Amino acid sequence: MGVECRYELAQAAYVKLALHALKHPAAAVNGLLVGRLADPAASPAVVSVADAVPLSHQPHHLPLLPTLELALTLVEDHFQAQGLAVVGYYHANARRDDADLPAVAKRVGDHIFRYFPRAAVLLLDNVKLEEVVKGSSRDAVVQLYTRDSSKSWRQAGSDGSSQLKLKEPSTNVVLADHVTTKKWQKVVDFDDHLDDISKDWLNASLLG
Amino acid sequence: MADHDAWRELAEIYVSLQMYKQAAFCYEELILAQPTIPLYHLAYAEVLYTLGGLENLQTAKKYYASTIQLTGGKNTRALFGVCLCSAAISQLTKGRNKEEESSELQSLAAEALMKDYKRRAPSMEALVAGMLKNMKLS
Repeated sequence: MGVECRYELAQAAYVKLALHALKHPAAAVNGLLVGRLADPAASPAVVSVADAVPLSHQPHHLPLLPTLELALTLVEDHFQAQGLAVVGYYHANARRDDADLPAVAKRVGDHIFRYFPRAAVLLLDNVKLEEVVKGSSRDAVVQLYTRDSSKSWRQAGSDGSSQLKLKEPSTNVVLADHVTTKKWQKVVDFDDHLDDISKDWLNASLLG
Repeated sequence: MADHDAWRELAEIYVSLQMYKQAAFCYEELILAQPTIPLYHLAYAEVLYTLGGLENLQTAKKYYASTIQLTGGKNTRALFGVCLCSAAISQLTKGRNKEEESSELQSLAAEALMKDYKRRAPSMEALVAGMLKNMKLS
């Protein structure tokens, strides 16, 4: 089992999840991470996170099962064709200085872990996100959590940079750019889709 | 007892703390007080589904159905909810012979969903169709 499993976060996934969080600044948001095991024979293993699917932003839908199950099924079915699977989950807390991984995130993480043993949970750091938006930071705004042998979610390293890597180094700059063009208004999550099915939760046209 | 917004907020807080039984109680109060508001039926059904267990799933299905009735069949979540409940119930009752009238409700809901997707979101149609087909088989 890859204890020292490394995660590579693609720009599309990173930007989508950050924009999703920015679209709903006062609420907790969450979503799924889609990707694949980059090279099964390599050691340490590298999980490549290719894309993110935003799920919901409403506090009374977040921890409830029906939306989550529906989304998992549809996402799995859709991305299977591209050889991708659900590899993780991301979460952003409502309050700015809340840096704890909430119980609901752990529950979803456990659920995904059953299907993908190298599942990752990313917690968005709201303070760092603010700095990136102002253009003054090059660090990743997410904190990686992995499941250790005692079945609990452990923060990966104090700076996380050894296990989590942004695939394209200019990702933060691209994100800041999208923010200035107000791209976050166009992010569609699964909740939005269920309220109006003409909205595309794949966000295919978002990043152009 | 008459402050409906307070009951709603309490229910949401319970859900965020994963105290689903207590949240269900709040929604029951709301449905008793205002039985024609589909939002409460829908929220109650979702909490019951999350609680799980055969009885809760069957009750959830009933409340998804009442939501569909109150919204004239336009609520996507309720339509999906009926399908999810039916699939979960059939998983639990596998091997037991309980052929009730439920199969008609599920196929009607699935049909309504397909029609809606065809009309408004054709790009998703195939994906949803595949999923619904898998559910009916399971």
